[in-house]
Amino acid sequence: MNFQRIIFLFSILLAGCSKPSDKIIIATAANVQYVMQDIKKEFEKESGKKIEIVVSSSGKLTTQIREGAPFDVFVSADTKYPQEIYTRGGSDEKPKIYALGTLVLWAKNIPSADLKIEILSEEKIRKIAIPNPRVAPYGEAALQVLEKQKSFDQIKKKLVYGESIAQTAQYISSGSVEAGFNALSIVLSPEMKGKGQWIIVDSTLYKPIEQAAILLKHSADSPKKETSRQFYDFLYSKKGREIFKKYGYK
Amino acid sequence: MSILEGSILAVTGPSGAGKTTLLRQIAGLVRPQNGHIQYHGKLWLDTNSKINLPTQKRNIGFVFQDYALFPHLTVRENLAFGLEKGTDAAIVEELIDSIELRQLADRKPYQLSGGQQQRVALARALVRKPDLLLLDEPLSALDHSMRGNLQELILKFHQQYGFTMIIVTHDLGEIFRLANQVIVLENGKIIKRGTPSQIYLPAENTGNDLVLYGEVLTSVIYPDHILVRALIQQNIQELKLPLHMESDFHPGRSFALRYALNMADITLIDK
Amino acid sequence: MDWQPLLLTFKLASITSIILLVVSLPLAYWLAFGKFKARGIIEAIIGMPLVLPPSVIGFYLLLAFSPSYWFGAWIENLIGLRIVFSFTGLVIASVIYSLPFMVYPLRAGLQSLPLSLQEASFTMGKGRFETFYKILLPNCKPAILTAFVLTFAHTVGEFGVVLMIGGNIPGVTKVASVAIYDEVEALNYTVANQYALVLFAITFAILLIVYSINNRLLRVRQPA
Repeated sequence: MNFQRIIFLFSILLAGCSKPSDKIIIATAANVQYVMQDIKKEFEKESGKKIEIVVSSSGKLTTQIREGAPFDVFVSADTKYPQEIYTRGGSDEKPKIYALGTLVLWAKNIPSADLKIEILSEEKIRKIAIPNPRVAPYGEAALQVLEKQKSFDQIKKKLVYGESIAQTAQYISSGSVEAGFNALSIVLSPEMKGKGQWIIVDSTLYKPIEQAAILLKHSADSPKKETSRQFYDFLYSKKGREIFKKYGYK
Repeated sequence: MSILEGSILAVTGPSGAGKTTLLRQIAGLVRPQNGHIQYHGKLWLDTNSKINLPTQKRNIGFVFQDYALFPHLTVRENLAFGLEKGTDAAIVEELIDSIELRQLADRKPYQLSGGQQQRVALARALVRKPDLLLLDEPLSALDHSMRGNLQELILKFHQQYGFTMIIVTHDLGEIFRLANQVIVLENGKIIKRGTPSQIYLPAENTGNDLVLYGEVLTSVIYPDHILVRALIQQNIQELKLPLHMESDFHPGRSFALRYALNMADITLIDK
Repeated sequence: MDWQPLLLTFKLASITSIILLVVSLPLAYWLAFGKFKARGIIEAIIGMPLVLPPSVIGFYLLLAFSPSYWFGAWIENLIGLRIVFSFTGLVIASVIYSLPFMVYPLRAGLQSLPLSLQEASFTMGKGRFETFYKILLPNCKPAILTAFVLTFAHTVGEFGVVLMIGGNIPGVTKVASVAIYDEVEALNYTVANQYALVLFAITFAILLIVYSINNRLLRVRQPA
């Protein structure tokens, strides 16, 4: 009787241990998630290999990678985080820029005709959302744009900081704030299409938002090494770049 | 049922008969589904006309089985709690003296013995000079001598303040000593009603006799009599009784000691 | 190190706890002694914040108070203040989020008192409110203290709700828990550590003091 039970338990245990899959995992920053969905589809079609996408903030992903998270490629929204990983030996190659991000000014209830930077100083704009500049490159860029305004001191009081691009997008699209800054790739995504009005911010007003990706270290005999390299190269291929362009990246 | 004003009624019966519930209903702490309670012409409860005077407005005093003394207040404060605004506080000191706790008046309940706490509970119920005093098995947790003392105290207060009293009790000695009338409850109904003698000595016509309640403690057989030590009125007395009664007088047996008041046996005292 | 987030956290915790104490006392009394059919539903509602992820509470609050929604717009017009992205909003959210932590210990404390205490007070002519205030509460001190401390500590630890509706505004809604998170995000582990340590030390000290007071209160109750 006891013997049977032991066998039973054992087989359950074995069932839980599955062979490690060969699927590669792509760590993606929030604001690139929509683009990455398209890239994933394209890549899977071309290569026949399945990939998985994990979306989080660049900061969290960096910390996780440092602590040994099983990611294969890290597609960030900036260069700071991939650089950090490279300096700490998380990769054999330096991070490469895959696109330049575009900043937009976005509002739920303001008609396109009225939407411009100057409107932010007006009374009726009570709250303005920007991604947290300390952790999000789009937030940094937004701050750079605002600092150039004459009424920056007043504008500063109205600022609300989104924890991530996604949360900032939520603040803006739900109308909790009158207006805010975000990424072009977000407003072009199918989920956010049609929610409010937006304009592209003059790119001379902020430092270019360089978005980089990095191929993470793999052991020589890792089954994922080849596929990861394939995917990484795909990002910079013609097809890849086309997809990025579709989402407004440069 | 009805009670004569100023008299003492004992409510007794087996456990679960509803004695405490009855008391609580009279107090207004529990509302019966159907009932009618009237005090002195004033309607306290009438379920038909949906009248229910709240406890606070019925001029009663209640002594709880667990004493229910307020743990965070001293003896004096416990008593004074019942005082209405503007009333003279002299009654508090008066009662403290009556229960002989002047030295302990600033103590908190947890610092008192069971008997002392009981005395405080009794005094507290009387601060508002209630017309009706209700007691729910107040002495059940006390030993003989303390019980005797408390019974004395209750009688003293009764004489002093003249309230009507209803006491729930199991103790026959208590019933005989305190009660003018007794009702026996069973399953929520009154099955017997009368004086203590009428209920417990139904065969006898005690009439006007003074009846004392006794309980046998020990019984020793001698050649021509038996010597019985019994608890009578909470005091231990020795009785000499004829031999033929020996079989009845085992320990724990209840009996009644009778003194005829008709052609009573009297001796005068010269002061 | 910037002390503002810490000061903000303790300010939020204090105000929330005090408001909850005032609100929860009658609520706990009602739950402890009231006889009403809807009690089960009310209890379930009060217990919700225990089970719901804080982000859900934050999410719904964001929706409700958003000026795009009629309710939020009306509130904003009424009091001239946007609830989301304000300290007031955090207080409201914290009150909801920490409600069960105040109500449950209070109710338990009240229910642990013998019913005869209340009844004795009634027989002495005192009404429900006076009885509650003069007899029940003074005998519930350990429960009140426990409830207060639990609520306070719980609010200090609040993160999900604040993140949702706070807007991370320095000096207004950037509380310590969010500040720590920020520093970690920015890979500033040293600063994050500093904040965390100070938070830990202060809350530990508060709890220690409160529980020794509590023990002293309980010891006094022992019979002589």
